[in-house]
Amino acid sequence: MNVKKISVYVLMAFIGIIFLFPLFWSLISSVKPENQIISYPPRWIPENFTFSNYSLVLKNHPFLTWMWNSVFITVASTILVLILTTLAAYAFGRLEFRGKKLIFTLVVSMLLIPIQAYIVPLFLLVSELGLLNTFASIILVAGANVTSVFILTSFFKSIPKELEEAARIDGCKDFGIFSRIMLPLSKPAVSTVTILMFITNWNNFLWPLIAIRDNSLKPLTVGIAQFMGGANSTAQFQYGTSLAGACMAIIPSIIVFLSLQRYFVEGIANTGIKG
Amino acid sequence: MNKQGKIAALFLLPYLLIFTIFRFGPSMAGLFVGFMEWNIVGDAAFAGLDNFEKLFRDPMFYTSLKNTMLFLLMVLPPLVVFSLLLAVLLNQKLRYRNAVRTVSIIPYVLIPAVVGIIWNWLYDNNFGILNYYLKMIGIAPIEWLTNDKYALFSVAIVTVWSYMGYNMILYLAGLQDISKDLYEASTIDGANKFQTFMKITLPLLKPITSMIITLTLINAIQIFDQIFVMTNGGPGTATLTLVQYLYGTAFQNYNLGYGSTLGIAIVVILIVLVQIQSRLFKLDN
Repeated sequence: MNVKKISVYVLMAFIGIIFLFPLFWSLISSVKPENQIISYPPRWIPENFTFSNYSLVLKNHPFLTWMWNSVFITVASTILVLILTTLAAYAFGRLEFRGKKLIFTLVVSMLLIPIQAYIVPLFLLVSELGLLNTFASIILVAGANVTSVFILTSFFKSIPKELEEAARIDGCKDFGIFSRIMLPLSKPAVSTVTILMFITNWNNFLWPLIAIRDNSLKPLTVGIAQFMGGANSTAQFQYGTSLAGACMAIIPSIIVFLSLQRYFVEGIANTGIKG
Repeated sequence: MNKQGKIAALFLLPYLLIFTIFRFGPSMAGLFVGFMEWNIVGDAAFAGLDNFEKLFRDPMFYTSLKNTMLFLLMVLPPLVVFSLLLAVLLNQKLRYRNAVRTVSIIPYVLIPAVVGIIWNWLYDNNFGILNYYLKMIGIAPIEWLTNDKYALFSVAIVTVWSYMGYNMILYLAGLQDISKDLYEASTIDGANKFQTFMKITLPLLKPITSMIITLTLINAIQIFDQIFVMTNGGPGTATLTLVQYLYGTAFQNYNLGYGSTLGIAIVVILIVLVQIQSRLFKLDN
């Protein structure tokens, strides 16, 4: 080991600390009683190890319900997006019909319009439909995803015509071609879209914040945001319970990420498009 | 042709239905509502360009625009430069590089509200660990989030921390696409590592840099979650961003018409910035 190598490894360790330290420090603080969390100087090893912050969170907030809500909304939204957009992308990518270019352009142009621009009319529409305060309001809005159509259409387009023609000679109809040829061949694109939709919907915040009022119907993102009134709010709050809530909310994100890491990384590298 | 049209309609119908109702319709209506005088309690009335006149005279709009632009300027350079350097480092054959890669992506997958809670604790004026270590090395403690001089910058640090790993993945993918032959050729030509980086790596990564800048623009202009949790726009209006202002106007004060006007303004700003970005990047080609 020469000096240069050592300094590279020191640098790597430093980078690792920058990314992990905030999480570790929160974890350590969350298992201390409130009066020791704010003890000075900070203690690295808790004097009294306690799970009381965790049980307080679970007692005072429907935390597990929020988590379940998030899981349900994320899974349902992702499935809906996959069904709707693979079908649509097949039509855009593989079929010829009048007005195709116009419709596709209209759809893709919506990529330029962020939710803030239409959130007021969306709110009015959803309340008019009586869908406020329901999971359906979030899942249906998530279903109108444009990114996914865009990615899948360009992938479907790239699949050679010969495969399709061979299948047609064998008597395959369009739906058969779609389900037995296109979908299996599109695994990379479909998994990219799945990962993207998971991240997008799991972290979805602004729309659920507006659409869901009932505390027990909130997804985790919105529920946990109440733990922090912002540093400039006057509300009294406790670090212990906030940090315990944060640590519990980290668990599913990290488990899913670590177990699907390869797909995560490929998904991001393939598209570079979030949301 | 006609038969394909019918089949296409079947494939498209479910998506287009949802898309039209929940995306396209509201987007078009957004334009319309922006021209209305509309409070949740009162009836809507057509206000013509009144809302836009109000927008141009609204000091809060300018404050939120200024904050959003400042925020963009704070996060953009580090999100490009640090992510690139990180990717270059982790593209070398090093032990533990996969571990460091994994660790650097973790902040990106966390819920922004959770990231906010964690950092608010680190930033705490009295008991935060950052101020503790600052004091230890003899620097006066900083009011990270409660001083209007630092608050926006403190939030920007957190955003850079969250997104660096994501951009690193994009750069890594780009680096791995560069053919080894090019590097060999330049070594034979006697170029040193720095020259190779400047002459080969950087130019070939240009499309990725361009994409990262565009994505950062889009995300920074729409910054909301982090601010909502960490500072709620405060102290005063020091971290009030465009979307935070829109949220307050439309959904806390229920001024739906003007809220929608702000939404239109955000889209226009976004499109202008993305246009400028793509022009600049084409110009030096």
